[in-house]
Amino acid sequence: MTVAVDGATVEVVRSYLLAVADEMRTTLIRTAFNPVIYEVLDFGISLYDEQARLVAEAPGLTRFLGANDHSLRMGLAYVGEQNLQAGDVVMLNYPYWNAAHTYDATLFAPVFPPDGGELVGYVCVRAHWMDLGAKDRGYVLDSTDVHQEGLLFPGTKLWDRGEPVTAMHELIRFNSRMPELVIGDLHAQVSCLRTGERRLLEVVEKFGRDTVRAAIDRFLDADEQASRDALAALPHGSWTAEDWMDDDGISEDPIRLQATVTIDAEGFHVDFTGSSPMVPGPVNLPIGATIACARVAFKALTTTFGPSSAGHFRPLTVHAPEGSLFHAVYPAATFTQWTGNLAVELIYKALALGMPDRVAACSGGDVPGFMMVGDHPDTGEFFAISNNDVIGWGACPDHDGESAVNHICQTVARTTPLEVLEARSGMRFERLEVRPDSGGAGKWRGGCGIRREIRFVSDGEFLSVVKRTRSRPWALDGGEESRPTRVVAFPGTDRERLLSTRRVAVRTGDLIVLETGGGAGHGDPQLRDPGAVRRDVVQGYVSPEAAREIYGVNDV
Amino acid sequence: MTARPYHLAVDIGGTFVDAMELDQRTGVVRFRKASTTPAAPWEGVLAAVEALGTDLAEAEVFIHGTTLGLNAVLERRGGATGIITNAGLRDIFLIGRGNLPDEQMYNFQYERPPSLVQRRHTAGVRGRLDHHGEVLEPLDEDDLRDVARQLVEEQGVISVAVCFLHSYLNPESEQRAAELLRSWYPELKVSVSTDVVREYREYERTSTTVLEAYIRPIFERYVDELERGLADRDFAGRFLIMRSGGGSMTSDAAKHSPTPTVLSGPAGGIVGGSYIAEVLGRDNLLTFDIGGTSLDACVIEQGTAVITHEAELEHYPLLMPTYDIRTIGAGGGSIATIERGLLKVGPRSAGAQPGPVCYGRGGTEPTVTDAAVVLGYVDPDSFLSGRMRLHDKEALTAVTEQIAGPLGLTPREAAAGIFDVMLAKTVGAVRQITVERGHDPKAFSLLAFGGAGPLVAPLLARELNVGEVIVPFAPSGFSAWGMLSADVVTDLSRTRMELLDEADLGDVAAELDELGRDAFRSLADQGVDESHMAVERQLELRYLGQEHTLTLSIHAGLDAKTIRDAFNEMHRVRYGHSMDNPIQILTSRVRGIGRTERPELPTSPAGDGNAARALVTTRRAFDFGIRAEADFAVFDRSKLEPGDRFRGPALVDEGTSTTVVHSGQQVMVEEHGYLLITPDSEGAFA
Repeated sequence: MTVAVDGATVEVVRSYLLAVADEMRTTLIRTAFNPVIYEVLDFGISLYDEQARLVAEAPGLTRFLGANDHSLRMGLAYVGEQNLQAGDVVMLNYPYWNAAHTYDATLFAPVFPPDGGELVGYVCVRAHWMDLGAKDRGYVLDSTDVHQEGLLFPGTKLWDRGEPVTAMHELIRFNSRMPELVIGDLHAQVSCLRTGERRLLEVVEKFGRDTVRAAIDRFLDADEQASRDALAALPHGSWTAEDWMDDDGISEDPIRLQATVTIDAEGFHVDFTGSSPMVPGPVNLPIGATIACARVAFKALTTTFGPSSAGHFRPLTVHAPEGSLFHAVYPAATFTQWTGNLAVELIYKALALGMPDRVAACSGGDVPGFMMVGDHPDTGEFFAISNNDVIGWGACPDHDGESAVNHICQTVARTTPLEVLEARSGMRFERLEVRPDSGGAGKWRGGCGIRREIRFVSDGEFLSVVKRTRSRPWALDGGEESRPTRVVAFPGTDRERLLSTRRVAVRTGDLIVLETGGGAGHGDPQLRDPGAVRRDVVQGYVSPEAAREIYGVNDV
Repeated sequence: MTARPYHLAVDIGGTFVDAMELDQRTGVVRFRKASTTPAAPWEGVLAAVEALGTDLAEAEVFIHGTTLGLNAVLERRGGATGIITNAGLRDIFLIGRGNLPDEQMYNFQYERPPSLVQRRHTAGVRGRLDHHGEVLEPLDEDDLRDVARQLVEEQGVISVAVCFLHSYLNPESEQRAAELLRSWYPELKVSVSTDVVREYREYERTSTTVLEAYIRPIFERYVDELERGLADRDFAGRFLIMRSGGGSMTSDAAKHSPTPTVLSGPAGGIVGGSYIAEVLGRDNLLTFDIGGTSLDACVIEQGTAVITHEAELEHYPLLMPTYDIRTIGAGGGSIATIERGLLKVGPRSAGAQPGPVCYGRGGTEPTVTDAAVVLGYVDPDSFLSGRMRLHDKEALTAVTEQIAGPLGLTPREAAAGIFDVMLAKTVGAVRQITVERGHDPKAFSLLAFGGAGPLVAPLLARELNVGEVIVPFAPSGFSAWGMLSADVVTDLSRTRMELLDEADLGDVAAELDELGRDAFRSLADQGVDESHMAVERQLELRYLGQEHTLTLSIHAGLDAKTIRDAFNEMHRVRYGHSMDNPIQILTSRVRGIGRTERPELPTSPAGDGNAARALVTTRRAFDFGIRAEADFAVFDRSKLEPGDRFRGPALVDEGTSTTVVHSGQQVMVEEHGYLLITPDSEGAFA
């Protein structure tokens, strides 16, 4: 039955659905055990109707925008909708279906009314787990097939009609190097799902099934229209950009990335044809993750603020040839998904060809991550602790790029405090400062990255995770390219070397210097307001030499 | 008792200064307003006091609520502030945690608001502690001398924040640096992180300290001006300033450490709410303070308002006990628009200027207040006791043309829709704060105040399924009234970070005792008599590996099993599960309280129970109980007496605010004259 709902009721129902997602998020953050969930917000939470259409989302990792959609659809296809019962919780981490790597545990639950009525919808949460038995402790940087990347769940019930499937929980426990954390996070995710389930049922009971359905139909249509209205205001055309990723973590060969973006009357189309075929190392991206990247770029461009729904993405199509870097198939290694960070900016690079006056230049280009694993110098116990660093953002058509912020793919994540890093690892931080002159010059200057000097006070392994150190971030409209990220291990010794994505043994007393990329410039540097150049020199973002040489401002 | 009889409370808002006088001998309360004077805010305060006409020589207490610190930050009016930290780490404050505000997450052209501290005003000095607080390299005093000279003499910094890595474990080098800085530059204001907040996480601690350093000069000037103005009027009593997380502090303490005052705007109402919860015996109370631009909600459990230890001010973290207030951008000024056929309310607000259409000050977009006028709740002729004539026809036209037409609804249906959307947004946010506490909203009573509180609260109660709404007297002045019952409070904390099973609980107890003594000393310094002092002791606990903590009150001796059981139980209530994992003690906290004599709540004898004596007229208005127009009985609140009962639909007018009761709800006037609105005995809310 269809009912007519007015434009006020639609908003009322939507507010209630969004509140469900928010309450799920609160529950997850407050009960999760591992800092990657509660500090980096490495999770995605979403709510679906009975057709598995996204109706509400809570903010998590920027790049997980709608990533659950693909996982849910694939999970449903595997389990079979007819096999789902009230109280079930299904886990999926098989990367080709999961829109992410194996350590992103996607859990979903069908929502049925307590009286045994028909399916109402689904609740879903993905979160990063600390260990699921991959070949290496901490992060995996050089796997060559998926079976080195941990225990696989293709869509497996962990709760069956409300009862825990204990055998599965034990399997997880025995396959993890960090069983307490992982089981703790599993419970946190299930609390989150149960909360969502209860609240969604309350919403349906309050408004009635038909009203909720009708309201969802209306706001999905309105969201689609919002996207289309935004697209209509953009230039139409087709633009192709290429870029290069450092390597796959195994060989030193650069990897070609290519995207063609087309805006036409039908919508917004992203095609990764022309990119490298799949590579041996773990930088291949499952198609679900590729779609999520395209969604991030699309949303930021068209409907920057406000909640997302399936409606927004109706005008978006994404294509990547099967077996290519952006559409990994079994048994390709997919653990180190930094490729996605570059993909989002690659889409912008293509867009910039058609609308340089609307988009920012390239940021520092990537998420410079690092991790240390080892035995704690105080306790002798194993630790693994990580941090994703800040970079400079690209200059915009009407203002400078911001300095020292997270990459656009994880804008609300937070860096790990030094006091936490030093207490929980064998690292000491001798420097954490803005990196002057790292931002590209321009009428509008790119933001600066940072310089971090890490001294080791115990032996262990250091993992550098960064995929863009060899090519400079691209500028716009006559601006200058910026300095990319640079990781120097053991400077001034005979072991000195540059790292991209590598795992290296470290000894007490060793030093590693991490300099993160600045954002590129926008517009001709000669057009920059000399007053702004002087301010930059006074505040230490630009050196007096650069002010003279690049901007021609001599009185600094 | 020979004490001076008057207690004064003065609360500064965006538009008005509210002043309240309590005569301790009679319990009688008087209330006056004056205009806010942003250029010299103390003048408005003194004007409000003059309006009351109280003889200040006869005033024992002058208690003041001010958002001056907050405004100084929002408007960037603080002095040139510097940061001194470790060599190599001068950008801790600038970098922060690298994150964007949640609502900006897809804004890839985001710009941070202008920083409170310019980068050139930040500097590092050599000297370093490790993560146990052991000295790795001693503070380099020559280096400090150079840095200080540069910041103060060359850069003109007038206030400086000192924050060293790991100082929460060992404050000595920070203290030594501060001592030197003060000796070199007696005029320089020096804020030391471990004096402000001795807790871990360097950015959050630095940010809290910077906020203090930034606000201090302007705050000190303000308090000096007020002290002078009060002294000129022969005031010789105690001058107290409201804190964000409960209670008050002396003006002298606030001058040195103003940070606890910055988020105190809504605190008066919550202090008053806590008092009312106690007097009326309500275990779970939700306060609803609804003004022009926002709604502030807070949970009060067992007479104690919920406190958070990490607040935010314009995205800057503030490690400071603060009432856990949720602000929802839905107030009288929220603007309604139609986008692609759907009705949106807020987040844009018409604010005080141009204000709602009905104010006639140039507003053209319909707001929630305009919807209230269209729905018939507000009498255009008697708004603010007739001091402001409302333009009801313009409001109706705006709602009709901009909302009702596009939606295909009648103007009243459209206005009801505006209320529906505003309520739906509010309900979700309010649910969150009760559910986070592990409660169902049903378990709560709802205390409504602020100008629009009693207009909206009964509707919210229906949506939330709350059993009772309480409307105090003079809801628009309730915040100032609440301040009269504020204690003098001091909070102290130490990060511990150790496992419960490995901790020396004797040492924990000794630390709590030491903090308790420090708290008592601070109270004594603020003139509190020992006989009025009390102390609350708490441990912040978590399962090892968790970030967020739960706060456990320690009433008796420390015992690992009791603590573990209590924590597990609290975790289960709050999150639905408990674990076998080791428990970590993160922070020990002590709150020292100097009890204030609270204003008595006078009771009146029951009247004849016939509310007809207060019945003024009837008015057609929209009844959400039946979702149709109905005749509302209009009562004059000043004529209601305890024991009166009546049913919705009804309106209760009291000049500065109107209580709107719908069918399916009933009103009882209790012994203090408060209105209790409950579901009609014949059934639940419709």
